[in-house]
Amino acid sequence: MNEETGTRNPPGPDEEADAQGAAVMDTQGAAVIMQQARERAGRELRVRRPVLFVTWGLVLLIGYGAMWLSVRGQHPFQGPAWPTLLLALLLLAIAAIITAQVVDRAASGVGGRSEVQRGIFVLALGAGYAALLIEKIALVGAGVSRPIQAVLGVTAPMLVAGLVFVATSASTTGLNWPRLILGLWLLAVAAGASWAGPVTVLAVCALAGGGGVLLMAAIEPRLHRA
Amino acid sequence: MSDDDLDPAIHVPARLRIMVTLASLGEGDDLSFTRLQDLIGLTPGNLITHLRKLEDAGYITTHKNGSGVTARTAVALTNGGRAALDRYSATLRALLDSAGTPVTGTRT
Repeated sequence: MNEETGTRNPPGPDEEADAQGAAVMDTQGAAVIMQQARERAGRELRVRRPVLFVTWGLVLLIGYGAMWLSVRGQHPFQGPAWPTLLLALLLLAIAAIITAQVVDRAASGVGGRSEVQRGIFVLALGAGYAALLIEKIALVGAGVSRPIQAVLGVTAPMLVAGLVFVATSASTTGLNWPRLILGLWLLAVAAGASWAGPVTVLAVCALAGGGGVLLMAAIEPRLHRA
Repeated sequence: MSDDDLDPAIHVPARLRIMVTLASLGEGDDLSFTRLQDLIGLTPGNLITHLRKLEDAGYITTHKNGSGVTARTAVALTNGGRAALDRYSATLRALLDSAGTPVTGTRT
């Protein structure tokens, strides 16, 4: 029997015989083929979430962490230094590219309901962040103080992400537990960090937000198996 | 129970791989012909032959979206196909059990 294909025929002629439906396959061979096909489909068609969690966890940790280092000890509060804002933008761009590549690798060629769900997820996040940007401009125009702008600017994106994660955690293949848990965690971190003030809010979001996402990268494979 | 009890429409290596691959998608999802070909590793001609046999059995559906260069042929498992694969897996498990072979990879 050919161990790779689980058939008794050599791989070359077997393919031709297959086309006629004449290949002989025993029960053990069939079990091997099922196992291999399932593993390959799982490997190729499943989004590698741990990669995304590590990427975004590092963005939060480094981005907010750098901003916190730049505002520590400011009296009066002026906000993060420009280089740290540029660093955050660079990290966001890199993370967006990695995310697009990871999702595209798994979702390429897959259509139907999950394609619609992916579209809704992107639309919800995009609309949420666009609304936040408009709100931020309105607040600046209304003369809201820098500390309040800072608290909102740090926690509101996390609130949007958390809400979108929770709202889209139901999928065609069942409940997406990592997304649901992470969404609730981000909501809790954003709400809790709002009480910390304009400086400490950055440290809380870096450690609890970024740390939480990184932790999810470690436990997601276990949640998936369960 | 013997090997003859296994559904002949599925009990062919390439068709078994196609069915298992499509079953790994979520309900209501489909897979493009080119991606399926990439995952199964068959020539387009061979894949078409097998898909036609599965379609004749009512286990899959194929439909074409768009036209010209944007045309995309999508393949999806039907409810009947999913049920047939479940039956196939159960029969296979029973055969392996009766032969005293450790059962791996037969869950759908």
